[in-house]
Amino acid sequence: MNAPGLRPQAPEAADHAGDDPDAREPAAQRQEGWRRLAGRSLWVSAVKSLALVAGAVAGLTRFLLGQDWQTGGVVAACAGAAVLIVAAVVAYDLARLRTSRWRLTPERLELRSGIITRRHHSVPRDRVRSVDLKAAPILRIFGLTVAKVGTGENSGEHSELTLDPLTRNDAETLRRTLLHQHDEREARDGPLAELRWSWIRYAPLTVWTVTGTALVLGALYKPLNATGLKPVTSEVASALRDWIVTRPLTAVPLLLAVNLAVGVLGSVLLFAESWGRYRLEQEPGRLRLRRGLLTTRSLTLEVRRLRGVEISEPLLLRLGGGARVKTVATGLGEKAGNETEDAAALAPPLPRDLAWRLAAEVAAAGGDSHAGSPMDNPMDNPAGSPADRPADIPADTPADFRADFRADFRGTGAGVPAFVPHPRMARRRRLVRALVATALTTAAVAAAAALTPWPWVRAWVWPVPLVVLAAGTWAAVEGARNLGHALGGRHLVSRKGAVVRRTVALDRRGVSGWTITESYFQRRSGLLTISATTSAGHGHYEVVDVGRDTGLELASRTVPGLLEPFLVRGTTVAKQ
Amino acid sequence: MSTTMLRPPRNRADPRVVPWWTVQWLLLMAPLAVAAVAAYWFLTERPLRLGAAVAVFVVACLVLALVAPRAYYRVERWEVTGEAVYTRKGWLTHTWRVAPMSRIQRVDTARGPVQRLFGLADVTVTTASSAGAVKIEGLDHEMAAELAERLTAITQATPGDAT
Repeated sequence: MNAPGLRPQAPEAADHAGDDPDAREPAAQRQEGWRRLAGRSLWVSAVKSLALVAGAVAGLTRFLLGQDWQTGGVVAACAGAAVLIVAAVVAYDLARLRTSRWRLTPERLELRSGIITRRHHSVPRDRVRSVDLKAAPILRIFGLTVAKVGTGENSGEHSELTLDPLTRNDAETLRRTLLHQHDEREARDGPLAELRWSWIRYAPLTVWTVTGTALVLGALYKPLNATGLKPVTSEVASALRDWIVTRPLTAVPLLLAVNLAVGVLGSVLLFAESWGRYRLEQEPGRLRLRRGLLTTRSLTLEVRRLRGVEISEPLLLRLGGGARVKTVATGLGEKAGNETEDAAALAPPLPRDLAWRLAAEVAAAGGDSHAGSPMDNPMDNPAGSPADRPADIPADTPADFRADFRADFRGTGAGVPAFVPHPRMARRRRLVRALVATALTTAAVAAAAALTPWPWVRAWVWPVPLVVLAAGTWAAVEGARNLGHALGGRHLVSRKGAVVRRTVALDRRGVSGWTITESYFQRRSGLLTISATTSAGHGHYEVVDVGRDTGLELASRTVPGLLEPFLVRGTTVAKQ
Repeated sequence: MSTTMLRPPRNRADPRVVPWWTVQWLLLMAPLAVAAVAAYWFLTERPLRLGAAVAVFVVACLVLALVAPRAYYRVERWEVTGEAVYTRKGWLTHTWRVAPMSRIQRVDTARGPVQRLFGLADVTVTTASSAGAVKIEGLDHEMAAELAERLTAITQATPGDAT
């Protein structure tokens, strides 16, 4: 199977298989073919161990100077420690490299590894869904990269195989081979999206810009104390406190400004590192995302796994006119520990109209792969199709984009038709909630004021309910305004959220069931929430507080035939 | 104007769930009631008003344990058609779930120790979605086994990986 996809690897193999004679003979390679990881990894681990050395030297110096050692003795001890550490790390890495072998047969990719416990890890090639390459700066200097081969299954530790590290050429060849790719069919016609540095203006538009500096300082405080800088930090802290107390009018605004400036700088740098050289390409059957200024990453997503797209607009970004695009895909893990970005992120924060266009393209790409599947039947009069309600496109959609929007919908069926707003009762529900929250806060504040021994609490606590009322009312109105849904030829689109507005276009063929809930208060308002369950992304996507009839009809039309047998239609006059 | 509603699923749970749920509720409520009475008796000076409140609380616990299972029995319903599994549950918040046969990945039956005394079993139908499990509670255990077998047969006959 797939033998043509196996490209010759001889030129790159010479790079690192110097002492592995098997790799040079094609006949032997077919039977045996076990290859080593890149030997240059030793240099990388040597460099990395220097960080360990620095820490050890600092600690050792402090300890020995405390014991009244001579400078010469201290230097000798440090040098000895440094050599020992580097040697130990390199020896460990050497053992790891010597015991690790991998090979690519026409059927499977295999890895044998483990210094003490031997492991044999094997992934069938037809199950491979992603080959992600990641190169941290040190690895890049030595021309190496870490390859992660994933099967796109959620379950267990056996879904991923990591080759750490390969030479860049090897990794690239492996990626192409595993994903059955040929050079001549590279990118279709230019990238779907490419970084424009002007987008960096959206980088500071997160909460982290304001809170980040304080959090980082807080996180650093403990470790700095531990490394013997405690006198310095406590002195700085007390000086700062004195300054704030004596001259609050200068100190507070200045500190806030510095905090903001550092936050902006940090977020801009983070953006540059995460999204520098960003490029999203459509290759046959998959999307390829490359990004990273220092640490480069290459992520490949099989279009088969795509079940839709999400446009997320957190408040600050929304006010700045930006948006983010994420995938709704099966088997995409949550954010990994040391990653700066969500695994589902498709693009950096970018202008709203571009975000919509990109989302439409990605959704169309997802749709293509399903073409001809049995459920691909044409829709019977989708709710809110452009022909029915052309005027309902949200007012905040950029004008030039509205035309695109509709054309796109007609053309590919992947775009987004006009949103159907939700009933007024949805807003009333939210306003009532805000009022209840205010009442509860007022009660709590009254209790606090009555019980507290400090008079200043009594004087200052009263604005709290007012703030809750204002914020709650805003969230209620904004949340209700953002509620909406639409049914396209291929996608069910739903939108919600006040603080973070999320618009999700879910592939209708990806809907694997419905959960419909109606709380006591919803029932009295004639509303319900329909939730489409799916194997991708969060697992379920909701259309919140939709009118009962509209919601049920929507669910019924989204997946034809599924809900229909359980619906009864009467002709009694509705209460609304 | 026409109204659209979800019709209730055809089948109820086995009537034996009422005593079973009653036992469960009593197991939950009895310690609460006992704890309240014990706290009143040993930790307070036994004022009459508080005694009345505790009595009301104990009675409320017992009434809830007796009434809730009957109320739930009235609203919990299920149905299996050729195309889908359909359930309804919930008393204040109604929840309907529909899982199409073509997306079912796993069918489990479960019987707890107390449940076994009543000859009952639960059937859980899992789809590829982390949020899509549909549970049919309190079936006669032979019927549950039969149903699970039937569902498994149908889902195995469906091609594809059900995602």
